[in-house]
Amino acid sequence: MPTTVDPSTFTMVDFDSAEIAALADELARKVGLGDDVQIVIEVDETTPLGRTELVSLDPVHIRTESGAFENPKRIRQFSEDAATDVLGRYLLRAADRRRDGFGDVPPDSELTVPQRTAWEVSAVGRLARLGYPVRRQRWLYAFRNRYGFTDTADDAFEQLWHGDDLSWAEIDRLSETTAATNPGPLQR
Amino acid sequence: MKKLLTPEELARDDRFERADMMDRIQDPRNGSEAANRGNGRLRPDRADAPDAARALMHGIFVGEIQALEGAGRTCYDFEVGATGKLDDEEVPFELKLDMARQCWDEARHCEISVKLSEWMGTEIGEFGENAFLFQAACNPDPVLRLTGVNRALEGLAIDVFNTMKEFGDLAGDPVLEFCEDWMLADEVTHVKMGSDWLRKLTVNDKDRQKRALEFQRVVDKLFSFGGFRGEDEESPVHLARRFRELAGFDDAEMEEIAELSREAKSEVEERSRLAREANETASA
Repeated sequence: MPTTVDPSTFTMVDFDSAEIAALADELARKVGLGDDVQIVIEVDETTPLGRTELVSLDPVHIRTESGAFENPKRIRQFSEDAATDVLGRYLLRAADRRRDGFGDVPPDSELTVPQRTAWEVSAVGRLARLGYPVRRQRWLYAFRNRYGFTDTADDAFEQLWHGDDLSWAEIDRLSETTAATNPGPLQR
Repeated sequence: MKKLLTPEELARDDRFERADMMDRIQDPRNGSEAANRGNGRLRPDRADAPDAARALMHGIFVGEIQALEGAGRTCYDFEVGATGKLDDEEVPFELKLDMARQCWDEARHCEISVKLSEWMGTEIGEFGENAFLFQAACNPDPVLRLTGVNRALEGLAIDVFNTMKEFGDLAGDPVLEFCEDWMLADEVTHVKMGSDWLRKLTVNDKDRQKRALEFQRVVDKLFSFGGFRGEDEESPVHLARRFRELAGFDDAEMEEIAELSREAKSEVEERSRLAREANETASA
């Protein structure tokens, strides 16, 4: 079922809803969401910020702000890389939540920032293996910010990055055990 | 060689893309309430903190390039005059030596920033480059140029480096904290240079000193980015009062900068309110 993009015509940013829909369709297929899954991408073009949320699983409804799809070099212009990064992570999150065996995940609103980061690292690692351009170091840096600048945190990152079909329990266990080793602020 | 280079003439390779400040100011999305949702101080527990830190670091990086270019131009753009008999387009040789030393520092900061960008997962040129730092370095009066660049912009650099240093400290990132601390020490020296030369070159010309300080106020307000740099809790970058004091700012001057930041914030909020009303009227 083709993706629906709201609004269908953008007036404040130079985005093309058909391009966004095509990108979402391709990503959805590659991340394993079935052809029968309806996807709705809602873009708030009135704000340049980039907050994104997964509103529902059926349909898979992703609500985002226009800054999330914006080219960081050119104001109000669409960036396929930025959109791939955001849609890829949220479609994978939806696919995980819908997957048998992934396990019970708390609602997004109850996830801690470190938990979300761990899950995102797992998603971006999978996007990389699907052939999408991702920047591993960016995510390693984000992960270290949440779990500490330590070898233990880097090992956990590798497990998340390379893990296929991780369950929520496995992600959460890695998150919890790694967070416990975070030395926190520098002691100077 | 040409003197008084314009921002458009700065050399960049194809990784860099120039961002126009007016595009940002005239962005029709600025009027929305969501656009004015503050993210607050840059702290590791913010959901967007790593990406916000990367973007800020890239801004620092291009700022360092322009600071290098600006100090280099100041070495070249003005003739050396005899102390005590300088006209408005001449500078003492010692001022050029200070600018040469600053070039050395800024070049090192560029190298550090490149390494930090790699560390944080940022590509060179990932974000648009705004050239307004160099624009302040285009003032044809060397006193105004040094006041605008070394006191206002390098002063802003003190605030930004201190914020990034604190961020690195809280996140437990020894690389970021260490690099920012080293660069911060240099910035204090650069601001002190600006304070010292302003005093020396205008000791017998109070009108020129007044114009220089007015230019600094304009630059300070512009670079408060509508409250981005200020003393409110929601300001991402805070005034680093202790380091500014070391660089020659007195309490009254720091209060003035804080007030300029508040003014800039109020003006942006008012512009946003007007834009919101205009959007609502248009859609009604």
